[in-house]
Amino acid sequence: MNNSDSHVTDGQLRVLMYEQEDSVESVEIARHVETCETCQARLTDLSSDSQIELEASHLFSGYEPAVRGVSPGSGIPSNAAMQSEVEFDKGLLGPPTHPEMLGRIGRYEIERRIGSGGMGVVFKAIDTELNRPVAVKILAPHLSRNGAARQRFSRESRAAAAVVHEHVVAIHNVEANAEHPYLVMQYVSGESLQSRVDRTGPMSVEQILRIGVQAARGLAAAHLQGIVHRDIKPANILLEDGVERLLITDFGLARTVDDASLTHTGVVAGTPAYMSPEQASGDAVDHRCDLFSLGSVLYFVATGHPPFRAERAMGVLHRICHHRHRPLWQVNSNVPDELSAVIDRLLEKRPSKRFTSASTVADVMAHILQSLQNRRPSLMMGLRSWQRRHRLVSWMAAAVLLVVAGLAAKSLPNLERNDRSTASTTATDTQVSTMGPLTGSQSTAPQNSNAVAFTDADDRSAFDERLTEIANSLQVLEVRHDSNPSDPFQEFQLELRSLEQSLHQIDPTNNP
Amino acid sequence: MRQAISDTRNSLLLRLSDKHDIAAWDQFVAIYQPLVFRLARSKGFQEADAHDIVQEVLLAVSKAIHRWEPNPARGRFRDWLFRIARNLMINFLTRRKHQSLVGSECIAELIDLQPAATEPDPDVTREFELEYRRERFWLAADKVRQQVKPHTWDAFRLTAIEEYSVAEAARELDMKEGSVVVARCRVLARLRTAVAELEGQPDEEHGK
Repeated sequence: MNNSDSHVTDGQLRVLMYEQEDSVESVEIARHVETCETCQARLTDLSSDSQIELEASHLFSGYEPAVRGVSPGSGIPSNAAMQSEVEFDKGLLGPPTHPEMLGRIGRYEIERRIGSGGMGVVFKAIDTELNRPVAVKILAPHLSRNGAARQRFSRESRAAAAVVHEHVVAIHNVEANAEHPYLVMQYVSGESLQSRVDRTGPMSVEQILRIGVQAARGLAAAHLQGIVHRDIKPANILLEDGVERLLITDFGLARTVDDASLTHTGVVAGTPAYMSPEQASGDAVDHRCDLFSLGSVLYFVATGHPPFRAERAMGVLHRICHHRHRPLWQVNSNVPDELSAVIDRLLEKRPSKRFTSASTVADVMAHILQSLQNRRPSLMMGLRSWQRRHRLVSWMAAAVLLVVAGLAAKSLPNLERNDRSTASTTATDTQVSTMGPLTGSQSTAPQNSNAVAFTDADDRSAFDERLTEIANSLQVLEVRHDSNPSDPFQEFQLELRSLEQSLHQIDPTNNP
Repeated sequence: MRQAISDTRNSLLLRLSDKHDIAAWDQFVAIYQPLVFRLARSKGFQEADAHDIVQEVLLAVSKAIHRWEPNPARGRFRDWLFRIARNLMINFLTRRKHQSLVGSECIAELIDLQPAATEPDPDVTREFELEYRRERFWLAADKVRQQVKPHTWDAFRLTAIEEYSVAEAARELDMKEGSVVVARCRVLARLRTAVAELEGQPDEEHGK
């Protein structure tokens, strides 16, 4: 193979340059070229130009491949590195002073690992000075090595520590200068909203509303301090064991991860299901970003899945930005329209169309909760479900309905006499609107009550008050009857009748 | 904590439907992340501050992408992206040269400045260009080094960088002289392609 007749072709020279060095073809071609000066010259011509030669000789100074390691994602611990949790934890912790403990960091004796995520590892620990359980969150090594993430961690967690509220996990201490920065939080015994719903399925309307009210109150407290959570999701909402109390955790920490992952292009850990459209498109976010996420969380609580779903994270982001969610009432028929409407408004794509503040959301949802409790056994709508459950007394319910109908009938001539264009507003409308004030309305007074039947506003609010009282009495009656089915039926009947009379008394058309 | 996320790249993916544009962004990050860090360190910044500057620069540029609108007259996204990043850096470095190193002005602001707003210092521009080319070359080298066998890389390193003759390198590495030549050509060819890729140029059919 050393005669000029068997020179290789340009195509073969390209194979030599670009294909695997040990492929059969490459080896075969190399065998010739290595011994043929003509082909070596051709190869040299083909492979380089003056530019690249110049760069190679001038720009290589300082090149240190081993140190650089700039491949994207290099800062993220690999699976292999994470495999041995115990070894990993030991790397973060000092040796324990007690044999049953996992380790120690500062004055905190680490008991066990309770969670881990993109930001770090969370341990249950004992504060040896105050002798109380705490949760210690240690910044992940890849973040603690990143100057920006480290600074952000300390800045944001100090800010979050200023939020003191019954629905926000308290931050006791921030150690930003430790080798692995960490923060010490109130230990909450319980589970996250995520695991609760995963375990027991969608929640009842009342539970959804309670969660909504509490979460919104917690958010309002943080927003008041200028802190936006940015990562509201079911996993960041804790439900305390035993009591119906919710606590939001990880305020402001989302940005720590953002800082570090910005440069690790292409790292998408998990699903962005609860992100707001403005986050998804990289726009500036304010407190209303949390409101959108809260809407998604409540949707999840009501249905068992987030409002925007897709196979891949990109698909989810696209849906968050461009698709309308399926209305909640369509997915879960138990959800009343008012609640469905609140969630629709939280999930508005444009922040300006959402509620203006978390405290408004809390107020509105508290209002729905209240009116829901009032409405259930009371007139109209509640009666229907009531009837279903209490066949025995359904005729009684019918009697109450008759009273209402009577009211309506009597008010109609009034309307005609006054020749008002609001004639369609009947007494029954009054009841409905009394029972279900719409979202955002501050007063309990019906907006569209048949004003014509009342001479002035005082009369009307007095009527509304009485009506609410009667509805409450009816509820008490029902609860009593429910809890004590052996109660004599006659007594129940008598009480119902007295309520019926009260209704007659307050009927404005009865008092000339 | 399943959903910790890097939203910047994703939001870019939403905004930039063209996969070439996404690749351009990735190349931008790959080149600028170490480049800005190195420049900041060489200007006397502490390591942590240098990291911050890197973040700020990348964020500022990613925010500027809002202003990108595909338009044939404006050319490729990639060229635009690298142009604004370059202007940003030259402005930044020029200001640094004339101001004290304390206090940090808003980097995002600098991106809006045309290069003429603060007359770019020719020294600064030259320095930036050199560092930019160096970074690009190093990145390409990182890539190629992983593609070839260690002795192939060594043959290249000795002859192209450390100015060994082919014969000396062959002796040093216990290779045939012809093998050293082939190895050196292999690496150079791949380097040239890798640099071209980082420049966003179509892969010129492997060479000529």
